[in-house]
Amino acid sequence: MSWTLSPEMRDRFDKIVARYPEGRSQSAVIPLLHLVQEASGGSLTEAQQRAVAEYLGIPMSKVHEVTTFYSMYSLKPRGRRHLLVCRTLPCALCGCAAVSAAVRERLGVAEGEVTPDGAFSWEEVECLNHCDLGPVLQVGEEVYGGLDAAKVSALIETWSKEER
Amino acid sequence: MRPSPKFLSRNFENPAALRLEGYVASGGTQGLRKALGMNPQEIIDLVKAANLRGRGGAGFPAAMKWGFLGKTQGPKYLCVNADEGEPATVKDGPLMERDPHQLLEGIAIACRALDIHQAYIYIRGEFRTAIARVESAVQEWYAAGHLGKGGGGLFGSGFALEVAVHPGAGAYICGEETGLLSSLEGKKGFPKLKPPFPALKGLYGAPTIVNNVETLSCVPHILTLGADAWNALGTEKNGGTKMYNVCGHVLKPGCRELPHDVTLRELIFEVGGGLAPGRSLKAVVPGGSSSPVLLPHEIDVRMDFDSVAKAGSMLGSAGVIVMDDRTSMVRALDNLLHFYSHESCGQCTPCREGTRWLYRISQRIVAGEGKVGDLDRMLDICGNMVGNTICVLADAAAMPTESYIRKFRGEFEAYIRGGKRLGLLDGAAIEAVSHA
Repeated sequence: MSWTLSPEMRDRFDKIVARYPEGRSQSAVIPLLHLVQEASGGSLTEAQQRAVAEYLGIPMSKVHEVTTFYSMYSLKPRGRRHLLVCRTLPCALCGCAAVSAAVRERLGVAEGEVTPDGAFSWEEVECLNHCDLGPVLQVGEEVYGGLDAAKVSALIETWSKEER
Repeated sequence: MRPSPKFLSRNFENPAALRLEGYVASGGTQGLRKALGMNPQEIIDLVKAANLRGRGGAGFPAAMKWGFLGKTQGPKYLCVNADEGEPATVKDGPLMERDPHQLLEGIAIACRALDIHQAYIYIRGEFRTAIARVESAVQEWYAAGHLGKGGGGLFGSGFALEVAVHPGAGAYICGEETGLLSSLEGKKGFPKLKPPFPALKGLYGAPTIVNNVETLSCVPHILTLGADAWNALGTEKNGGTKMYNVCGHVLKPGCRELPHDVTLRELIFEVGGGLAPGRSLKAVVPGGSSSPVLLPHEIDVRMDFDSVAKAGSMLGSAGVIVMDDRTSMVRALDNLLHFYSHESCGQCTPCREGTRWLYRISQRIVAGEGKVGDLDRMLDICGNMVGNTICVLADAAAMPTESYIRKFRGEFEAYIRGGKRLGLLDGAAIEAVSHA
């Protein structure tokens, strides 16, 4: 399945590339991939990676290196809300195991899987550096701290209502 | 403990400062205006006299790094390291979210001092709010004509400067300055061998200074206060105030600005609100997860770079992790080894294989299947990692491994002998196991 760059997306691409010196457009690969991923429900297809490679005039392998190296890109489908649960030591000391367990139980899917309605997916991630608020969960731009199983349940309940 | 002055954090409760006019009204940009009237070497000399130590983790004197910048007719770059990733570190995120113009002012002063006309702010990709707020602040400076072409330069001085925000995409290794540069060039965040140092050969091969967000945020205050007043807030060779985050088993976790002579004891028991009732202190990490662990009798150390180094650890990124008597040090180390093995970029065999091997051994111990030789094997692996890699992620994994095993050897041996699986907060159960 192919994917074409819309004129509007191409315009946004051009503005980002202009931030870098002449001949250094490869620098734009990370922000461009973020743009495409966000516009496409949170994951990237091979066709989209190829389109970015073609736009930048670099080999597909250079784009694929980037999408497989950095943890924020997903090459598998994600839910409309993708929950990031921090598991690193400061959050662990504050009880993040209970947060992960609550997420797993309430969503009913394992890490990396999407709920049947496409609403949610989740994964444990390394330190999000909101250790003053541990344990922490991030969805999109929103960071939720001081969590326990009950608070996680309440959040998922609220989001589920919004989905309906 | 001295009262906490507010310089870097003075606008943290002042949302009006998110707009340039609110920032100016709060006293901002005076440092930059002063700098624009000085000659560049005077600015560098002032920052040197102020004993500004790099706040990314290494504590290297900022003005000394600036002094290394290569001379060239071609482009030079300032890259701001906003890839805050060291576990327990919380300062750069709040600085960007709550006072983005302060960072821009620091960037502008540094560029003026170094004759740099292009700056990139590399912000970790997960920091969505910081990215949005810094981007918004940058747009305001462009709209006001301070950045870009045709606007008269910085505050009408004619000094031309371009600033762009560049997001990361999830990789702790991009907090390493050369890993950051590789990433900024559009590649995997592989660090590069040093020398050559970025000051001579950095972004796109050009002379580049990489500075931390907090380091640059200090600069406007050094300009307005002067070196003597800034030094008076700190200790010898460690000028100024410092942002500290206290987290883990404390009642009042949080990131706060304090004079540089605060002690670790004060951070835990006064600033951090102390431990929960009935709990006692077991271990504390002073400077982010990579710093060697300290014991309860070692906490009367002043939290400046040189004092903590003398005490056998490092101030690093000033992320204080407090662990009370519930903590299993075996599980705590295991948690960190998962982190380092995941974050290793894979470029160097001793780190790629070493961090994973350490984690596999740790996992076996945690599962109750540890063997007598495991601890010495882990120390041996650390010895083969350190000094044999392109960057210090290997050292960052080795320092906790060595210090936790060395200082809690009895607990690790008891865990192995016990042959049972315990939780992170089952530290007290170890006593029962070892006496069985």
